Amino acid sequence: MISQTAVTALSEKLGRKNVLSEKEDLLTLGYDATPGLSALPDIAVYPTRLEELLFALQVARDEGLAVVPRGSGTGLSGGSVPHKGGMVLCLGRMNRILEIDEANLTATVEPGVITLDLFDAVMAKGLFYPPDPGSQKVSTLGGNVMENAGGLRGLKYGVTRDYVMALQCVLPDGSVIDTGGKNVKDVAGYAFKDLLVGSEGTLGVISQITVRLIPPPRSKKTLLAYFDTMPKAGEAVTRIIAARIIPSTLEIMDRTTMICVEEHAGIGLPLEMAALLLIEVDGHPAAVEEEATAVRTVLQQAGAAEIKLAADADEAASLAAARRTALSALARKSPTTILEDATVPRSKLADTFAEIERLAEKYRLVVGTFGHAGDGNLHPTVLCDERDRGEMERTHAFYEELYEKVLAWGGTVSGEHGIGLAKKAFLARQIGPAGIAVMRRIKNSFDPRGMLNPGKIIMEE
Amino acid sequence: MNNKKSNFPADDAPSYESVLQCMRCGFCLPTCPTFALTGRERSSPRGRVALARAVHEGRLDFTEALKDESFFCLDCRACATACPSGVKAGEVMEICRGQARSAFPGGHLSATLRRFVLERMLPDPARLEGSMLPARLYQRLGIQWLVRHSHLLKLGPDWLEKAEGMLPKLEMPLRPRLPELTPARGRKRGRVAFFLGCVMSLLYPEVSRQTVRVLAHQGFDVITPRATRCCGAPHLAEGDRQTARRLARHNLELFLAEEVDAIVTDCAGCGAILKEYDELLAETVPAGRRETFRARVRDISEFLAEAGLRTDGLGEVRASVTYHEPCHLCHAQGISKQPRELLRAIPGVELREMNESSWCCGSAATWGLKFTDASRQILKRKLDNVRATGADYLVTANPGCQLQLAWGVKQAGLPQQVRHLMELLGRATPE
Repeated sequence: MISQTAVTALSEKLGRKNVLSEKEDLLTLGYDATPGLSALPDIAVYPTRLEELLFALQVARDEGLAVVPRGSGTGLSGGSVPHKGGMVLCLGRMNRILEIDEANLTATVEPGVITLDLFDAVMAKGLFYPPDPGSQKVSTLGGNVMENAGGLRGLKYGVTRDYVMALQCVLPDGSVIDTGGKNVKDVAGYAFKDLLVGSEGTLGVISQITVRLIPPPRSKKTLLAYFDTMPKAGEAVTRIIAARIIPSTLEIMDRTTMICVEEHAGIGLPLEMAALLLIEVDGHPAAVEEEATAVRTVLQQAGAAEIKLAADADEAASLAAARRTALSALARKSPTTILEDATVPRSKLADTFAEIERLAEKYRLVVGTFGHAGDGNLHPTVLCDERDRGEMERTHAFYEELYEKVLAWGGTVSGEHGIGLAKKAFLARQIGPAGIAVMRRIKNSFDPRGMLNPGKIIMEE
Repeated sequence: MNNKKSNFPADDAPSYESVLQCMRCGFCLPTCPTFALTGRERSSPRGRVALARAVHEGRLDFTEALKDESFFCLDCRACATACPSGVKAGEVMEICRGQARSAFPGGHLSATLRRFVLERMLPDPARLEGSMLPARLYQRLGIQWLVRHSHLLKLGPDWLEKAEGMLPKLEMPLRPRLPELTPARGRKRGRVAFFLGCVMSLLYPEVSRQTVRVLAHQGFDVITPRATRCCGAPHLAEGDRQTARRLARHNLELFLAEEVDAIVTDCAGCGAILKEYDELLAETVPAGRRETFRARVRDISEFLAEAGLRTDGLGEVRASVTYHEPCHLCHAQGISKQPRELLRAIPGVELREMNESSWCCGSAATWGLKFTDASRQILKRKLDNVRATGADYLVTANPGCQLQLAWGVKQAGLPQQVRHLMELLGRATPE
């Protein structure tokens, strides 16, 4: 519980509209996009600058409140769910793009900037910020950094971590550290920055972010390939990679996903097909031409039923946009959609698809599968009803068995969504007791009182 | 969650399925004008649905704050267009307004006035037309000029001044003047019924006169049943679902009695509701009749695009035009291409796209009067986009938008003339 004095102090310092304590507000700030998880915080605050952020943290310390940082709440592992109550620290109103440095090819922003807004702003200056999570229209940079978000261009361009050059971070004791900088090379000391990226708000609160920009690719080609089985499509992906071609995007959708996406977007997908690959190659026009031809050849050899080239930039954009809606579109079919973030070495893709199909049948579940096939990062999604206990148990068993295989193949329990609340047990299995123990020591050294986003990532003892 | 205890105060609550459907991905957030204004999650589609869900699950009472949110929602349906999961947050809020009427009946005077308007005035076209008489006299006698220039209105509430400023120059209502049958011209292509909306008849009679003329010129016999009543949209917006159903049933039976290829309207708001009669009357009218009715309803631009516009004999309208998409056309009915196709088909017209053409103008029935300040902010964003086009005309296809935009353009001193799509097409159509 928070005291009335503290609420008053916050309201005075941050302004009334930036301090919310009505139940209706708290109810709507206690969730993210993870199914089944929501909680009721004690208070929500919206700092608009660093000084207010520090003040809010001070109040939380004095009141002994847990602090849960939050961007737009699009997370998919419960990272911003305040399951132990306390203060939700909403960073969406710290949303200024502070600088686009064309000499150093960097941009510096506050954590609440929307990902696509940054993309558009740098694009207007002829620069490119490659990370592009599916939720880029909504998600914030701060959230991207904290979850180390991936996206559709991850295959060629990597994930958020690969573009973070510097972070300003507020520690729970109120100290502010600046880590990293605009230097292309920097090996001074421990890599705090890299530790903070993907720390899901458990180590510090990010108050400023500097990202690396690159020149945009000069040209791009988008291909679509359809297959009559999922493992065949998986095999095609493996072969493209083995042929030393790195497309910028290599996405997969199964039929269930295609049906849902088609229902929403109406872009004319052939629903009799079992799988679709969406492939983009970009770069120098001559290289793009050559790679597109090579991809086409590999696809043919891998038994694609049909290969199509997007007619123009508009068609390519609408395909990518449709792909971004896959998860939400799957939610049309059932009251509850539970997605996973299983990632495997790319040589294991076809096996993984076969395994998903086998398990779906075994546990009598409807599963829609889509994802960043080129990264080996898949999102098998169970379409279920949270009111049906039996189905939920089978869903649980499905993922248990799937992850057992994924880990045995050297895969990981999260490619881009983070661990949060949803996957703590799986992480423990992946990295083992020694790994968890080190993580716990790191957490304690940053946040000895366990105030920041408690209970996330690491299983409690 | 199986043993949920719904806290909705009355029957006719949003279904549990309809709120469970939201998986909270947040794709709706950047499309919501009220969320853009406040940045407050509970004023977002996702937040509003979450509140309705909490009420359903007994975690929240139907509170005054939820009532406020249900009326603060513009019901523009932009979130529904954006939602891949098919959640209809606007509709959920519309239904919550009905719940709000049970939970918070409101002060005696406003409740009585509201009931008088919704239950007595709007359902009765003759009474409605009669009531406009003072407003017309007021304009004719020059009192309007006096009032507008004397700052008398500054003394009254904000909305009154705005409402007064919005009134276009009034003519005689169209309903009694429109022939029950307007015969097709040239080669006959079919027979349609025209659904004349109340606001169209009262405030924009010339628009609908043009619509009927265009339809006839395009080769359609047009019948206009004089017994048409209000479509029910204002009632739904105010949470009076009962009267809305009564009106819907009347109109459905009235139009089904006619042998026509289509039921056409030039009011995007009416069109959207007519298409929703299907759901509104789900429990009171047999499915077959509902489906037949639904299959016939067309917005005028949709109808002409399907029929194929006959352009021979159309005159030239030399003008640059930008198009504002009414929410009830683009979001509620999914009609976006067709009005543009028609505009491009008018000889001489140059279409200049504005940014965010489908972003609400802030009118939203009585919303613009209830939330005058918020409405002004939304309108400003729209007008900035209009200004940037430098077009001669600002065209739209819904009377609510037209009132708001005409007022806004005048207030902002913009050069654009605001017109309904059918006025432009009417100008190109020879008498």
